[in-house]
Amino acid sequence: MKNYRKILTVLLLLSFLTLVTAGCGGGGVSSDAVKVGVILPLTGSEAMFGEMEKNSFDMAYEELKAEGKTTIGDKEIVLMYEDDQGRQDVARSATEKLVNQDKVAMLSGGYSSACTNVIAGSAQTLNTPFLIVTGSSDDITKQGWDFVFRGTAAPASMYTGAFWDMMEKVVKPQSVAIIFENTDFGTSSSKGFREECQKRGINIVFDQAYEHGAIDFKPMLANLRSTNPDMIFATSYVMDASMIVKQMKELNFDTKLFVGNGAGYTMPEFYQNAGAASDFVASTSLWVPNVSWQGASEYYEKYKQKYGKEPDYHGAQAYATMYVIADALNRAEDLSNTGIQSALKDTDIQTIMGPIKFVDWAGFTNQNEPNTYVVQWTDGKLEVIWPEEVKSADYVYPVPKWSER
Amino acid sequence: MEDAWIKFGQTVICGILLGGMYSLIAIGMTLIMGVMKIVNLAHGALVMVGMYVVYICATNYGIDPYIGMFIAMPVLFFLGCLIQKYMINRLVEVDSILPENQVLLTVGIMLVLTEGIRLFFKSDYRSVVTSYSSDTLYIGAMSISVPLVIGFIIAMAFTFLLHMFLTKSDLGKSIRATAQDRDAAIFMGVNSSKITMITFGLGAALAAAGGSLLLPLFYLFPDVGHLFTAKSFIITILGGLGSTWGAAIGGLVIGLSESLGATYISMGYKDVVGLVMFILVLLFLPGGIRSLVKR
Repeated sequence: MKNYRKILTVLLLLSFLTLVTAGCGGGGVSSDAVKVGVILPLTGSEAMFGEMEKNSFDMAYEELKAEGKTTIGDKEIVLMYEDDQGRQDVARSATEKLVNQDKVAMLSGGYSSACTNVIAGSAQTLNTPFLIVTGSSDDITKQGWDFVFRGTAAPASMYTGAFWDMMEKVVKPQSVAIIFENTDFGTSSSKGFREECQKRGINIVFDQAYEHGAIDFKPMLANLRSTNPDMIFATSYVMDASMIVKQMKELNFDTKLFVGNGAGYTMPEFYQNAGAASDFVASTSLWVPNVSWQGASEYYEKYKQKYGKEPDYHGAQAYATMYVIADALNRAEDLSNTGIQSALKDTDIQTIMGPIKFVDWAGFTNQNEPNTYVVQWTDGKLEVIWPEEVKSADYVYPVPKWSER
Repeated sequence: MEDAWIKFGQTVICGILLGGMYSLIAIGMTLIMGVMKIVNLAHGALVMVGMYVVYICATNYGIDPYIGMFIAMPVLFFLGCLIQKYMINRLVEVDSILPENQVLLTVGIMLVLTEGIRLFFKSDYRSVVTSYSSDTLYIGAMSISVPLVIGFIIAMAFTFLLHMFLTKSDLGKSIRATAQDRDAAIFMGVNSSKITMITFGLGAALAAAGGSLLLPLFYLFPDVGHLFTAKSFIITILGGLGSTWGAAIGGLVIGLSESLGATYISMGYKDVVGLVMFILVLLFLPGGIRSLVKR
């Protein structure tokens, strides 16, 4: 009997562990400043990305300051960071605190789609302009919220834009296999892909979710191999991504093309862990350091030097967003909410993420038309292979067999 | 037909090999549970710390993970002894604190270890890449990763050595005596506080060994411990609380059933298989595998 009680206690404790608390930021800022509230996950499981975005914001801010663009009249732009811990309730209270207490002129940030959605909804009700950095679920800019702007992030279903173009012109697969992690992100992006396949009459021969953090992917891969697909489309977080391609190599599992849906497949950690197995793996992406937009590779090098780590597209989004903010605030006729709103609306700026304009299209409001790319790994380098106008290398398709490498 | 057999063979072999390493980690937990009657929820964190020791050895000094393991084990033995002597023992000796509440302390230790490591290494994912990391044995058309085989052999060797130690040596016998009846052991002249300290150290060292064996296959981040705590806990329950052989067999059973579940049900439900077994064991076989043997 005693054992049961012990076990019950342990179970309770285990569930208790999932509740992790964290501190909060903020500080005194003088009143003759233009305050910009930035809400990012600075603690919790998404902290790695929040940190990268905050660093990029700071870096862009310093550059703009050197150019004298952070002072408007006699007022200085001040960034006020708030931590959303990757939780929706915290995101909401952070938004309300920034608007009601700190009286910020506008808001930015938003990493996970769930949090971004909450911030956007609150910003709209509070009539405060909100410029999204990363949160990408389609519905955020489909609500007709005129105070919400999304420049550097594409709607989730549009990540694969360039990729479908390439599919039509180059790959032309008869059959595809879909694997994805069983999270919101994995499920929703594979759903978009699945629908697109059905629309185009491509045969889906294998379709399976997996649990994040597995050690042995071979059971799934062995099942997958027996369906012999032309192409594999995978949505994975970074370490799962490298485990999957490593174990495909061990299994000698050849496929004409392996495509990752952004996320894990474009990160430096992917190559570091997967090594040679990463060769010829393709992925959809919103940004790569060697894309031909001006300033992109400079940003990459500068970030790497300054913070000793390679940034990925999340950092670039934050960096470009800071430039959009400074541009809009400098152009705004007055620094009221509607003044900034209309300045944002008139945005037409070239950033390291490409040109950014806020337009209404296909049911979206204030949504930049995204630039998407297809990238491919070659010898540890991520090369842009599609669209052809901005490519940094030619595509390799079909990819060589393991035995011929 | 042949394909189906290959798939089955691959599933069974990989499941058992992985299970062997789960066993080693779980044995550390079951040993501590047997002697001290508390569930050590910091166990996964100890695995994690052991893995970081091996990681540092490998990246800074170029020491092979399998040799680094013999550095990580003494380090963790020492750390385990310190934790037992200066933290857990202080609570165990106070009768008014129930064992259920002593478990809270292990949660605290886990948080400190995890966040301490995060302070030094950030939340980044790390891995040790060795020349043989992706070497593969081919048995017919089945592919079996070499580090998995090496890991299994070493894990089984450790399990055997531990068994010999517990049954043949004086110290081992004292540990078993303390586990069976602490008061009686004290009356027989066993220094129980020394024994508990050594047991905790031993459990931590085994945790480190299990982690080190997984490192060439897997990756590392500060929160990786939760995975191992949960897994060892299930295995410990399955094997019967405090039973070394029960945990060894329990590990193999969990490894095998996860692998079979992944192949024949879906990889998305891999962990569900283990958890369903956990519930079934609690409902129908509360004493675990050990109680089957006794019957």
